[in-house]
Amino acid sequence: MKIVVCVKQVPATTAEKRYTSELRLDRAATEAVINPLDEYAIEQALRLKEGSVVDEVVYLSMGPDSASEALRRSLAMGGDGGVLVTDPALAGADEWVTARVLAAALDRLEPDVTLMGMASDDARGSLVPGAVAAIRGVPLLAYGAELRLTDGAAQIRRLNPTGFDILEAPLPVVASVTDQVGEPRYASLKGIMAARRMELTTWSLADLGFDPADLAPLTQVVAADPPPAKPPAQVISGVGPDEAASRVADWLAERKLIA
Amino acid sequence: MADVAFLAEFVDGHPTRSALELAAGAAELAAAAGGEAVGLAYGPGAADGAAGMGAAGAARVVVLDSAAAPAVTVAGPLVEAVRAAAPAAVLAPATPNGRDLAAVLVGSLGLPAFGPVRAVHMEGGAVRCEMSTLQGAMITASLPAPSAPATSVVLVSAGTYVPAEGGSGKAAVSQAPAADSPQAKVRIVETAAESAAIAALEEAEIIVAGGRGVGSEAGFEALNQLAAALGGAVGASRAAADAGWVPYQLQIGQTGKVVKPALYLAVGISGAIQHRVGMQAAEHVVAINRDPDAPIGEFADLFVVGDLFEIVPRLTAEIERRKGA
Repeated sequence: MKIVVCVKQVPATTAEKRYTSELRLDRAATEAVINPLDEYAIEQALRLKEGSVVDEVVYLSMGPDSASEALRRSLAMGGDGGVLVTDPALAGADEWVTARVLAAALDRLEPDVTLMGMASDDARGSLVPGAVAAIRGVPLLAYGAELRLTDGAAQIRRLNPTGFDILEAPLPVVASVTDQVGEPRYASLKGIMAARRMELTTWSLADLGFDPADLAPLTQVVAADPPPAKPPAQVISGVGPDEAASRVADWLAERKLIA
Repeated sequence: MADVAFLAEFVDGHPTRSALELAAGAAELAAAAGGEAVGLAYGPGAADGAAGMGAAGAARVVVLDSAAAPAVTVAGPLVEAVRAAAPAAVLAPATPNGRDLAAVLVGSLGLPAFGPVRAVHMEGGAVRCEMSTLQGAMITASLPAPSAPATSVVLVSAGTYVPAEGGSGKAAVSQAPAADSPQAKVRIVETAAESAAIAALEEAEIIVAGGRGVGSEAGFEALNQLAAALGGAVGASRAAADAGWVPYQLQIGQTGKVVKPALYLAVGISGAIQHRVGMQAAEHVVAINRDPDAPIGEFADLFVVGDLFEIVPRLTAEIERRKGA
């Protein structure tokens, strides 16, 4: 059984973010990390491998050359190989373009399970897993708090409004998991050294059979501005709890939030 | 002239809150585009409740399926219905079910996708979407590319639109033809109810949210009482949900719910950026925290530095007293 985990390199949560004159995120100027939510997908895949359910865990990333670093950091946690799809024509890729390119790479890798994080830090659509599933014509099992694999089928535990459901679909599937699967492990020194020596596979769009002209994004950003600055908070400090409670109630009443 | 479609999820014959909000949004956008709001209904009882969506703003409703199956299983009829209706936009709720269907739609038909949006407008028959991106660091505006298909898929956060009140009229109802899809293979093999009644946070006008500082499951009792006094609901940060003090359904933030209440009271929540993205659209934010340097102070309107265990019960009592006065 083979799992391909898709990992995305994103700006670090704390990093300053800038847009280029083409209104694209300036990825070169920004400190980059593995998308934190992808680490849960990595953790889930490695646990399944340790449980002997899965034989092979391979990472797939799409991004600039520097995204190979995200693959090495993933491999340092564990796993068997990494594939980078990189091409200058992919700058500014939207969900549709990203999903098509990942789907084409997955057609070659032929995993039983394609696993992704539930969202990426730098965009919050969470649409890529489902779009990839649709393009590949396989079932989607998204937002799993846990992924289980049985003979020929995958199951996820997914929250519903009052509890959870177990969803099942026959393999192959595209699945995504949440941060409830368990805390991602730290890479060991041995893992980091081994990952450094590992050979990564690199594919261009031509390698995947695409004509870049057919991969024009379907969306365009026409403006990007920082949000309006919020005025500093009014602070209540250094008063007793009765006084604090009374002042909060006054503040709420002034805004008609309480009667 | 362009129609605007929306996903309308039903439970037990009734439209969900998101269906009513999106009906109002689709009606507003369709009016601007000179078209009609078209509901795409699914879920248990969708066929029975479909006509009633007229009061919420829908001119027509296409029933995709009324089975009690995972939402994603209606992908086949959904794709065909959208292909046939060719609306300018399909509004989908930014919920797991809504995103599943939106994503399959994008992948099946090759459509431009946006969201979750904080505002949508129609411009020349196409959508213009405003989004908060990079965890709130940027506000972007996006359009479909000139070469893109005419239908855009737009994820809409809860609370973006207000359901129409006192509407009347019936929507014209039709049944979508059956269509196969790989998503029809997904099934629910087990369902477990962990909590009997969990308030729908997305609908709450007032939310009292607790974090690590609340310290225990018992600590949340004081928050429950404050929420009851305010007529609001209780939410939590990831730390509190991970600790098992509250069910995960109450988690607010990047990996939980995104809420937009009139008042958000953050109690013992430090205010990590992952929490912030779930509540930054709240109209008023009040924080109670022992740590004067907690990041929540940067995006609160009122920041109370003090011991939540002393302040929260007194605030509850004070609110009750004023109500009684």
